[in-house]
Amino acid sequence: MLVQTTRFGNVQVDESRLLEFPAGLLGFSRSRRFALLQPDDRGVFFWLQSVESADVAFVVTDPCLWDRDYAVTLRREQATELGLAEGMTPQLLVIVNRRDHGITANMQGPLVIHPIRRVGMQVVLADRRWTTRHELVSVSPAARAATA
Amino acid sequence: MLVLSRQRDERIVIGDEVEVVVVDIRGDKVRLGIVAPSTVSVHRKEIYEAIRRENQDAAGLRGELPRIAASAAGSDAARRLAQQQLDGPRGAHREIA
Repeated sequence: MLVQTTRFGNVQVDESRLLEFPAGLLGFSRSRRFALLQPDDRGVFFWLQSVESADVAFVVTDPCLWDRDYAVTLRREQATELGLAEGMTPQLLVIVNRRDHGITANMQGPLVIHPIRRVGMQVVLADRRWTTRHELVSVSPAARAATA
Repeated sequence: MLVLSRQRDERIVIGDEVEVVVVDIRGDKVRLGIVAPSTVSVHRKEIYEAIRRENQDAAGLRGELPRIAASAAGSDAARRLAQQQLDGPRGAHREIA
């Protein structure tokens, strides 16, 4: 199917590979279906592009690449809602944002996705160890000037 | 706004399916228990708001991914990903990426 995007023009995606968030993301309850766009094979970042809204897209990454201790504990009813069987590992993604001092990720509000059904939800973690602005990469002032 | 007085262990029912119980009161702190169907999400408001704000802020990123990726190159994550690609992708990654 053809997905209209404001950032990348019209993008052809395989409909069977879309991710569905039945409840949307917090603050974006009307964006339910997303395509995961991979800019290049070696990158650690992806674009999560809304199918419904051309201008809604997030940069996301796998939090486990950045912190091996990162884990999400789901409540039983959340696991049931996603259809996750006991012992099944969900795919995790976190939304990335750019700051003056570098790159942060929302580790307190991860996206938890059933790897086969491709259904997901944004979970709010109670664990105070993870924040909405967890630093992934710190950019030095010199590097900042070079890319500005 | 409806204001109700409740004592410890007393309950409030909202609609047919949501119950709020006062579990404990200590000084200026109240512990509440909430019974709700899984389709109703319950969050501390300040955390919910922080995540909603962060989502909205992050949705404002435009064509900055190359720059983001460039500044992440050489990071531990990039090295780990490279290693992972050498090792072969995990099942979950293969499904999604």
